[in-house]
Formats: sequence, structure tokens, C-alpha cells
Amino acid sequence: MLNRNASTNAWLAVLTVVFLGLGAFFLVSAGGRPVPRQVIPLVDPKFLSTAPWRQTYADLVRTNQDLSDYDCYGCHEKNKPPPIRYDLNHKIIIPKEHSDIVMGHGAHDRNNLCYNCHNEQNLLTLQVRDGREVGFDNIPQLCGSCHGPNLRDWEAGAHGRTSGYWDRNLGAMQRLSCANCHNPHAPRIPTREPAPGPHSLHGPVGSPPPVETTP
Amino acid sequence: MPTLTPPPDQTSDAAFSRRSFLRGCAAFGGLTALAASLAPLREMGDYTSTEQFLQKYYKELTPDDMAKVIARIEGEVQKEYGIRPHVRDLKPMDGVEFVYCLNLTRCIGCRKCVHACVAENNQSRNPEIQYIRVLKMPHGSMDVEKGDHTYDAKQVPEKGFFYMPVQCQQCHNPPCVKVCPVNATWQEKDGITVIDYDWCIGCRYCEAACPYWARRFNFTKPEIPKERLNPNMSYLGNRPRKQGVMEKCHFCIQRTRAGRYPACLEVCPVGARKFGNILDPESEVSYILREKRVFIQLKEEMGTSPRFFYYFDK
Amino acid sequence: MIIAARNYLVFLQRCARIAFVGDWRYYAWMGALTVISLLGLNAYAKQLVHGLIVTGMSDEVSWGVYIANFTFLVGVAAAAVMMVIPVYIYDNEELHDLVIFGELLAVAAIIMCLAFVTVDLGRPDRFWHLIPGVGQLNFPRSMLSWDVIVLNGYLLLNVHICGYLLYCRYQNRKPGKWFYIPFVFTAIIWAVSIHTVTAFLYVGLGGRPFWNASIVGPRFLASAFTAGPAIIILALQIIRHFTHYRITDKALLTLRSIVQVSMIINVFLLVCEVFKEFYSGTTHGVSARYLFVGLHGYHALVPWIWTAITFNLIAMVILVMPVSRSLRWLDVACVLSIVGIWIEKGMGLVIPGFIPTPLGAIVEYVPSLNETLVCLGIWAFGLLCYTLFLRMSVPILQGRIAQSNEGQPEIQGDEPEAPVSGASPH
Repeated sequence: MLNRNASTNAWLAVLTVVFLGLGAFFLVSAGGRPVPRQVIPLVDPKFLSTAPWRQTYADLVRTNQDLSDYDCYGCHEKNKPPPIRYDLNHKIIIPKEHSDIVMGHGAHDRNNLCYNCHNEQNLLTLQVRDGREVGFDNIPQLCGSCHGPNLRDWEAGAHGRTSGYWDRNLGAMQRLSCANCHNPHAPRIPTREPAPGPHSLHGPVGSPPPVETTP
Repeated sequence: MPTLTPPPDQTSDAAFSRRSFLRGCAAFGGLTALAASLAPLREMGDYTSTEQFLQKYYKELTPDDMAKVIARIEGEVQKEYGIRPHVRDLKPMDGVEFVYCLNLTRCIGCRKCVHACVAENNQSRNPEIQYIRVLKMPHGSMDVEKGDHTYDAKQVPEKGFFYMPVQCQQCHNPPCVKVCPVNATWQEKDGITVIDYDWCIGCRYCEAACPYWARRFNFTKPEIPKERLNPNMSYLGNRPRKQGVMEKCHFCIQRTRAGRYPACLEVCPVGARKFGNILDPESEVSYILREKRVFIQLKEEMGTSPRFFYYFDK
Repeated sequence: MIIAARNYLVFLQRCARIAFVGDWRYYAWMGALTVISLLGLNAYAKQLVHGLIVTGMSDEVSWGVYIANFTFLVGVAAAAVMMVIPVYIYDNEELHDLVIFGELLAVAAIIMCLAFVTVDLGRPDRFWHLIPGVGQLNFPRSMLSWDVIVLNGYLLLNVHICGYLLYCRYQNRKPGKWFYIPFVFTAIIWAVSIHTVTAFLYVGLGGRPFWNASIVGPRFLASAFTAGPAIIILALQIIRHFTHYRITDKALLTLRSIVQVSMIINVFLLVCEVFKEFYSGTTHGVSARYLFVGLHGYHALVPWIWTAITFNLIAMVILVMPVSRSLRWLDVACVLSIVGIWIEKGMGLVIPGFIPTPLGAIVEYVPSLNETLVCLGIWAFGLLCYTLFLRMSVPILQGRIAQSNEGQPEIQGDEPEAPVSGASPH
């Protein structure tokens, strides 16, 4: 009986000490951030830019920029269409004065005649195959002469970039022209660097192993 | 019935009072430990305030209430970020139902939309919250389980793959709305499913219910650098969120209900994203749904009927 | 009226007193539970300040051990009826005086359930949004709103039944049938409903094929009716060991037959589920594949689920063999089924539903230390509650605390407890 009594008292005393110790532990361990944050660099603002990739002739005119690239008759002679030369494979030979031009319009290098688009009679304009003359600031008409469905989509707002207002009553929709995105000499959109991928809360996101694709 | 009393207590008075004293000590120790265990709460800071705690449900706010709440939110944002924001409560427009179309033929997987969205909608940068997830998919499959979320190629697009950005599909029949126990998320008449950030209790049932993994939870206080805060805010849209609540894509309510295009659309370098009013036959989206042939409503078999259409045009 | 109120207050006061009185084993046990509960409370305080980032959960796996334990404990609470049914429907004498221990367990389990749901909330300060009238309870559309109603209702029902029966015993009068029999039968149906509603919480999510299967509901019930009575079998033996309350082996063996049948059904339903997921080979089986064999090199849950299955199978074999009539073997089977079902219902049900995500990403989940402390704290708190309930109810049922001995020397706790033979049935 006494024994039981004493051990009960001893346990009560131990409990008191344990509780007070626990309390002290809580107070000591209260501060600080329990989970260290990962380091996630802020995204480069270049990925937030809404500016078009390319500037068209119309953009240059509007912003009063250097138009010397379009001063064809600074070098060429008027009324004398420059000759086009081909190599043995029927690939066009690009003169060194135009070495910045990469010819990549169309599959299999077939679209290799400058005068499909440029006006051989007047290098300051472009021409549609039916003979209509088109200015550098009106290229959709030229491109659309071959790419009809794309022109139709573009006119409906379904092809190409838009910005501004979807609600025309509240503001204008801004459109871009073909050459704002496509290089007319090599219209396929080039590859580019992607913005950084996602960071999961506690570590990497698992994905399935790379899939082998058949060419 | 006989009742039985316990055997008479044989302990002496001294032993009895010693026992009482020790019990008292243990109880005191226990209460001390209880109080000390709550010590971390000293750092609660701006967890909530009386006004925030008592704030009414969005649909029950009168215009006067709303004006006060907006003033309070503007004050809170200014205090925290040093910028006075412009918070509006934009209502859905009559005769407008939004639809999004995304051209999978065009998307190059550059992830610009992801980051433009983060910037526009004041999402937390660390931990990272993003509404859009771009999947790199092998040609020939729409099975998202084959998608790669973390591709980090030097250049995109890569041969043999297409890219599929996924965000809130703004379903006609949203499972997330159905499951919310407190009606903190609902579908508005222009088709946008919104969240009342001041009403959500953070149970994350909607996150479990969404078949598109479109919802995000603020696992801690969001971190937005001051210099990247977008001060053009809306109540149901991009105002800064609190710890412990859900958020998700709301079609940039602060832009689209003012007639503008969403941020992800404007930043898309290839024009793969198209947005507009499906009730207007002249809109781009009406044109696309009329003229294009193949549409994919992701996980159509779920019966959610998304307002987000994927299509191919070649 | 005033006398009745006074008597009731004295009853409550004496119950409260006895809770703080016991021998050294009682203080050691309660002290240990208090320490663990406080560690849990402290961990929860940290979670409240820093957010759920201190857990292992993420947007990919947005529910973790909190909801897993919640699911398991709803089953335990529901299973209390498995003692009520034989008593009130089949008039089983052996279990008659033990029903109350089952119901008290249900009360403790529901308290734990509510605690687990609360710690899982991102904004517990907004709990009032759930209160109908003041807040916006989305009833009947959201299954979670159903759960709020059925859990709280079940808690009230059981608190009423236990409290009423105990107070009657305290006053040494026969309980009025109309004051509790209707509630008992309501509680039986209600118990099935709490677990069914909890199952529907998962089943209703079309975007998660692992849960979106009609077998989940029946499996919930089968596993609950295995683990619940198994816990009661162990609890009764502990009560018998520490008090002189009369609990017969026959009563325990009646519960054994419940565990036995439920475990067989549970394993059968598991086989049905595994067959469906694996034989058909549809893409909807990926979560099951992740759970049972691992997926794309991720297999955190594989050892767990196979442990659970092994435990369940061994338990089933023991239970169907005659050896389980010996209490030692029965206890082994009970422990194995409880652990097996806890894994299977918790980690095995909740986590794989999130892996892979609806967009196919695989992010594994491991509970954090803080999260584990919160769980342990809630379990300790639940056990603390159950011990308190037993500490109060056993002397009342034995007649040691009764209205008739009011004012006489109270129990001190460590006096030797003479066997009380006269705990007469009412």
C-alpha cells in the first residue's frame, strides 16, 4: 500500500518535471522556418515580352527607322532585272551582297526564283503571279496569293498573333503582318529557347521516361 | 440493489495533502506545457484580422460592402508591397460567353504563356504556383501520361513531339464547383469558374476533383517580388492570395471582362492561342469552331464539357 | 427541476474528478499521452503559422496521412455498431454490457476524425463557413458537406446514448426505452452512412479512376467491420486486465466471428479490385500499378501495400482456423488486421489516387516529420479521450460511483481494487 502510494507520488513528480521540460523545449524551438525554401530564380523578363520577333517594312516606316536595306536601286540598275544563277543541283546561288538571305521557302528548294515574289520590273515593289503589283507594306495580299486558307484564317483573326481588345466596342484589336513572324525567305518558324520548367513544392517532378519516336 | 462503496481510504491526512499537492503540480506543469506548445503562434503576424475573419461571402456583399472591402484590400496590398493597386469587382458582361481555342499545330512549347500568366496574375514565385502546364507529347498520342512536364531542351520544338499547354478548362459542368463544401467556387454566366479567396477553407477537395489538375493551393504565404506586382487587379481574379486557399486560371478576369485578351494569348509568339465570345458569330473562336475540323475537348469522357478547345489546322 | 440539475452537475463534477485520479500506471499512461498530444499540438501550431508547406503534401499529392487516418478512423467509428447489432437485434447477452465501450470508442474515433479533418484545412479559422445559416454549406451537392453532417450527427447520437445510459446507471434506474432505443437504431443506420458517405467522397471523383470505382464503398465497410471490432477485442482485454469489469471470453469470441467474416469479405473484394485493375490493362489502371508494382521506377508504396496484403492474408488464415479461439492467436490476428487495414485504407487508398496526377506527372509523397507529429498527437489525444471515457464509465458501471454514494469518500485511485461482483445488469 505504502509502496504503491510512493510510486504514484514519484510518478506525479516525474510528470511535473517532464511537462516543464517539454514546455521549455517548445519555447526554445518556437522560432525559425521549419522548411527551407528552394532557390527558384526569377524568370528572365525576355520571356515576358510580347514584342513581335521581326519587324516588317511597314514597322520600319512607322517608326522612322533605317530603310537603306530597301533602297534597291542604290546598288541595282533600274530597268535591268538582276540575273539569277543556279548551281548544278538547281540550287540558287546567293550573291555575297545578299549573304544574310537564307533561301528556305517551300519544300525541296523548289521555290527558288526571286521573282516569284519580287517584282523584276520594279525592285521596290513585290508582285503576285497574276501580275498585280503589291507594296512592301501589303504583304498579306502577296502571301495569300499562294497560301489562300491561311490568308482566310488570318483575315478572320484565326491565324497569327493578336493583341489588344477582343471586344471591338471597347478597343481595337492589333494584328501583326505575315513578316512579323515569318521570314519571307525562310518562313518556317525557327526553334527557340524555352522558358524554364516547373518546380514542384518539395522537389523534382517525375515524368515518364523519354519516348522513342519513329521517324 | 446493493451499492458498493469503495474501501475506506486509509491514507493519512498528510499523505492525502501531499498527493493533492503533487496532482496540482502535475496539472500546473501540464498547463504550462500546453501554453508553451502554442509558442509558434506568436509569429502569426497578418494571418487574419477581425475584418477578414468576419468578411461575408462574395454573393452576399452589397455594393457598399464591396466598396469597403476593396478599400481594405487596396490598403493591405499597399502596406505589404508599397504599391497602391487598382482593385475592381468586374461583373460578367451580358451576351458574352468565353471560349478558348488552342492550335496544337502551332504551339512550339516555349512556355512563355506560363510565365506571362504568373506575371499577370500575381502568382507566388516561391513556392512556385503556375496555372499553365505545358506537356511535351510524342506524336500520335493524346494520352497525357506520355507527356513530359519538365523538358528542358536547348531549343523547342523538338522533332517528333507536339506541345500541349493545359490550364483550367472552364468546364460547363465543373466537378470542382460541385464538390466545394462551402460554395467558395462557382461558375459565372460568362463561363468563368471563379474562387472567392476570402471564403475558401482550403480543404483541397476541388483540387482532387479536377480532371485537368488545374487548381493550385497556397501551401504557404505567397511570395511576389514588389517590382513584379501587377497593380491592375480584380476581386475574383489576380489580387494577392492568402496562405491556405485555392487559386486557378480565371481567363484573366481583370483583362477579359474589360474587353481585353488574356495575357497568355498576347504573349504567345506563334498565335496558337485564340480567345473570344462564342455568342458573337464574328469572333475568332466562332470562326474557328465553324471552319476547323478536329477539336479535342481534353478528357471528353469525363462529361465536363470544357470551354477550352484544342485543334489542329493541318 | 433544480434538484435534477444539481444532481446532474454533481454527476459531471464527480466524473471530472475521477478523470484525474488513478494509480501510477494511470498517471504514467496519461502523462505519456499528454506529452505526445502536446508535441502534436506544437507541430500543428507551426503548421498553422507556416502553412501546409510543412507537410509532405503538394499540388500533385494534395491529401496525405491526415485524410488517410481520417478515412481509417471513420471506419473504426462506424464499426462500433457491430457490437450494437448483436445486442439490440439478436439480443446477445454476452455483449450487452459491453456495447457502451464500443460506443465510447466511436465517440473517441469521431473526435479524432474531426481533428484530422481540421488539421488538413488550409484555413481552419474559416470553419464557420460550413455552418448552415451562418455560412454556406453546399448541401446536398458536395459529398464533403454530407460528411460534415453525418460525422457531427454520429458524434451527437453516440454522446447522447452513452451519456444517457451512464447517467441512468449512476442514478440506478432503468433507462427509458424511448430515450435511447430509437437513437440506437438510428445510430446503426447512421454508422453505415458515415462510412458510405466517406467512401462516396472518393468514388464521386470522375477524374480519379483509382477511386471512381463502385467497389470502394463496399470495401470501406468490409475493412471497417474488420478493423473496428478488432480494436474493440483488444480494448476489452485491456479493460479486463486493468479493472475488474466482467468481460467474458465468450463475448470476445462473438466479436471474433464478426472480424472473421468481414476479413474474408474484405480480402475477396481486394481480389476483385486487383483483377479488374490488372486484367483489363486499361490506362485507368496506372494508379493501381503504381501502388502494387511501381511505375516508371517510382515505387514508394509498394512495400507498404504488400505488407498490408501479407498481414491481411495471415490474419485471415488465423481467423478461419480454430486456433483463433485462443485469445493469444486472436490478438495476433487482430493486430495484423488493424495494421494491414490501416495501411490499405490510408496510404494504400488515398495516396495512389493522386499518382500519377490527372496530367500524368509522378510526384511521390512522404509524410514530413511535422506532419507525423501532428498525426501522433491526434492519435494520442484520441487514446487520451478513450482512456478518460473508460476511467469515468467503468466505476459508474461497477457502481463505485453512484448517486447513492455521493458525499462518501471518493476513490483515490491507487487503493487495491477489490473485485466488485455486484455490478448487476439493469
